[in-house]
Amino acid sequence: MTVLILTCEEDVTADMVVVHLNASGMPVVRLDPADLTVSAGLSGEFAHGSFRGHLAAGGRLVNLAALRSVWVRRPGGAASGAVHPSPWLAEESSQALYGMLRGSGARWMNDPDAAHRARHKPWQLRLAQRCGLPVPPTLITTFPGAAREFAGRYPDLVVKPVSGAHPQDPPRAVPTSRVPPGADFSAVAHGPTLLQRRVVKRADIRLTAVGKRLLAARKAVLSPGDPEEVDVRFAASREPWRRTAVPRYVADGVRAYLREARLAYGAFDFAEDGEGTWWFLECNQSGQFGFVEVDTGQPIARSIAEWLSRPGAEQPVAAPRTRTTAC
Amino acid sequence: MQPFALNYARPAVESDATTPYVYDCGLQLNVLRDGRVAARDHSLLRELGTTVSTAGSKTHFDD
Repeated sequence: MTVLILTCEEDVTADMVVVHLNASGMPVVRLDPADLTVSAGLSGEFAHGSFRGHLAAGGRLVNLAALRSVWVRRPGGAASGAVHPSPWLAEESSQALYGMLRGSGARWMNDPDAAHRARHKPWQLRLAQRCGLPVPPTLITTFPGAAREFAGRYPDLVVKPVSGAHPQDPPRAVPTSRVPPGADFSAVAHGPTLLQRRVVKRADIRLTAVGKRLLAARKAVLSPGDPEEVDVRFAASREPWRRTAVPRYVADGVRAYLREARLAYGAFDFAEDGEGTWWFLECNQSGQFGFVEVDTGQPIARSIAEWLSRPGAEQPVAAPRTRTTAC
Repeated sequence: MQPFALNYARPAVESDATTPYVYDCGLQLNVLRDGRVAARDHSLLRELGTTVSTAGSKTHFDD
């Protein structure tokens, strides 16, 4: 059996997992969908009521029936590295690759359909609520009046992108930012705006979930209450990430979230307030983990390698029973 | 008039640093010039910040 990793060559975080897979003797094929039609290829035949398929990459050939799992890490766009790339070729290549892989029977980390849905932050917030995780009061709106009314109820607000995407023309970053008192909300009409009550935090929490295993890390805020220290990705803190225990209510909520979302992996961000409550901010279904492992020594890469290697099914959710009908 | 959230945008920081490792197709790993596997060198990974959560990634927005 073989583990297939879909990622780009420079993904050194994936390397951390490949090292463990190699050590355990589990065969690995690493393929970047961007390389399709150049240094990667595929073939699948549907005949006589059966399917046989193969992938080729880096001089390796793998039978799709021999795939134990597929790890979707940081794949490039399908055939984006082709000699003559085009949207049409990208769609053809994407459907051929992911369509055949969907029929392979391999376990996914994460299933592409589940991953696509899980990227939607409004959906994340609602699911977190349903799973019993505390969610800060949040408004997503294009109504300036609604924004003003929300700011009246929650005067201390932050704003962040709904999608998490960043504009590229020109390249800019949109960090989670504090909205100053008296802000003019009229520009809310020009784009959906996510406003959230600021959590006065004493620490950031990154909880990495691998299957049923939860590994949490905590990064203390050196100046609790500092209104300008909002987005940990942009903070200049030299405080390292440290291991921390997961409160029972969080563990229960996170496991319910993963089950409902059909995710085998998730990187959850929380803000810990002065009373110790972990407020759910988001779940990145393909979030980075290397920086946490480097600081804490937590065995995240090893846990991923073990999940990918494990025979049998530890599916995020049990498949629903369906009645078979003749067609 | 631009959307409200873009009032808080800042120029993306483009890294000029070149990574001191290259992909080895045979090993399916990135290796340093001396042949060591880059992923085993945690102090180097910390220094380079290549495994961090990166707001502003061009290709992956869910870091």
